[in-house]
Amino acid sequence: MIDIRSLAEKKIFLLDGAMGTELFRTGLPPGHCPEAWNLEQPEKVAAIHRSYFEAGSKAVLTNSFGGNAVKLTKYELQEKTYELNFQAAKIARSVCPPGCYVGGSIGPTGKFLQPAGELTEDRLYEAFRPQAEGLAAGGVDFFLIETQYDLREALAALKAVRDVSPLPVWVTMTFNLTKRGYFTIMGVSPEVFVRAMEENAVEALGTNCTLSPADMIELIKQMRRLTSKPLIAQPNAGQPRLGEDGSTYYDQGPEEFARPLAELIEAGAMIVGGCCGTLPAHIEKMAEIVGSYSDKIG
Amino acid sequence: MANEKNILQSLNRAIVEGRPEEAPRLAEEALAAGNQPLEIIEKACVPAIEEVGRLWEAGDYFLPELIAGAEAMKSAMNVLQQALKSSGQSLKSCGRVVIGTVEGDIHDIGKNLVASMLRASGFEVIDLGADVKAEKFVETAAREKADIIAMSALLTTTMLNQKKVIALLQEKGLRENFKIMVGGAPVTEKFAREIGADGYGQSAVQAVAVARSLLAGGGGGR
Repeated sequence: MIDIRSLAEKKIFLLDGAMGTELFRTGLPPGHCPEAWNLEQPEKVAAIHRSYFEAGSKAVLTNSFGGNAVKLTKYELQEKTYELNFQAAKIARSVCPPGCYVGGSIGPTGKFLQPAGELTEDRLYEAFRPQAEGLAAGGVDFFLIETQYDLREALAALKAVRDVSPLPVWVTMTFNLTKRGYFTIMGVSPEVFVRAMEENAVEALGTNCTLSPADMIELIKQMRRLTSKPLIAQPNAGQPRLGEDGSTYYDQGPEEFARPLAELIEAGAMIVGGCCGTLPAHIEKMAEIVGSYSDKIG
Repeated sequence: MANEKNILQSLNRAIVEGRPEEAPRLAEEALAAGNQPLEIIEKACVPAIEEVGRLWEAGDYFLPELIAGAEAMKSAMNVLQQALKSSGQSLKSCGRVVIGTVEGDIHDIGKNLVASMLRASGFEVIDLGADVKAEKFVETAAREKADIIAMSALLTTTMLNQKKVIALLQEKGLRENFKIMVGGAPVTEKFAREIGADGYGQSAVQAVAVARSLLAGGGGGR
């Protein structure tokens, strides 16, 4: 199990980059359920994990971002929630080198709670619980409840995980930079988020997606002022563009993406990685910087 | 009966503050007080939804408030449109929009929000749902004589299907018949330009402004 205390003291912990981006590159057809590949193409999922470990990731996140029963219902796979998550964990575990870790990824349902939408908190809990059970049984070391925008949904997922497992839980929310500062699309501020995570005693917390590394620095600074817990930062590789060959790519290459990393770490980020558009090459570049950092403080 | 101005004001507040359960009753009361349906729409409802948009742009409102405001607007407009119909009048449409999330993409939060803000702002909206094939966008837009085709995508892989729809329109010689709007989390104005769309909105509120501008003959970039 990860010793979160030593992590918080001095080690910078490197996560992986995008899973979805890599799955599509490997041939996942648009419209196909990414988690279904845990059963259909496990070797391809394993190869992606392996490439991140080789790039220097200390932990990879399982291919289970959309593996909650609400989202799987759209693919009529809700009955397989446990199994798809169990396999997701198994696959990552099977290629995890000694001294490295596997995090169980839990993303949002993509639906709104009442009154903005139809969902209830009970329904959410029921959607996340079999996911958490599958990930725990498949052998994850910790959970990452990620890319959340509604605090109530994040808390429903947290409750589901806590009810089935004693493992560490990390939570990230996705913030936009608005005229009035950082907020999630539902209006959750960093203050409200951090307070709720402190109250619920998560082991680490932070932010991912949407923002580029440079735009995340100020947000991490704000969070650092609010908590002493380990902070997570997983920015996007800039913004998507249309390539000359007609495919999409994110406009920050590994060099540009990794450049603000030192400042992000200075701002207080302890657990870093990449979100949309980041590839093993981005992680490799980050690993160089993280390495020099650990030398300095280690 | 409370005075006329107060009722219009109460209806306005019910929309701005997002109380969809109260708005229809207040619309009924405004009618009962002798206001013409069109007058109620123009004096109370339209300024209200515009205020919701302003509060969003200012960063005071977030998705829950925006959704509640659009819901309240919808519930009031149901009552008022019914009243218009019974008096033989109808509301002039701002334009007809065919909207959907592109093929291969099941994400519909943003698309739904744009659809309801467009409706609340006086557009006729034909919502094709999520995972919509290029052919379906084109066929529907042609059949319904739409003014605008609006496409959403949340994934970098599926955002390319926005381009596919534009290509299909060109192939059929229909490109000039419609204005094309695109949006969705990974979509940027630059990307919209690159694929040859006419307009891009960063949010549902901007989408309304873009749609208006496109139909007024202006550009749609924000």
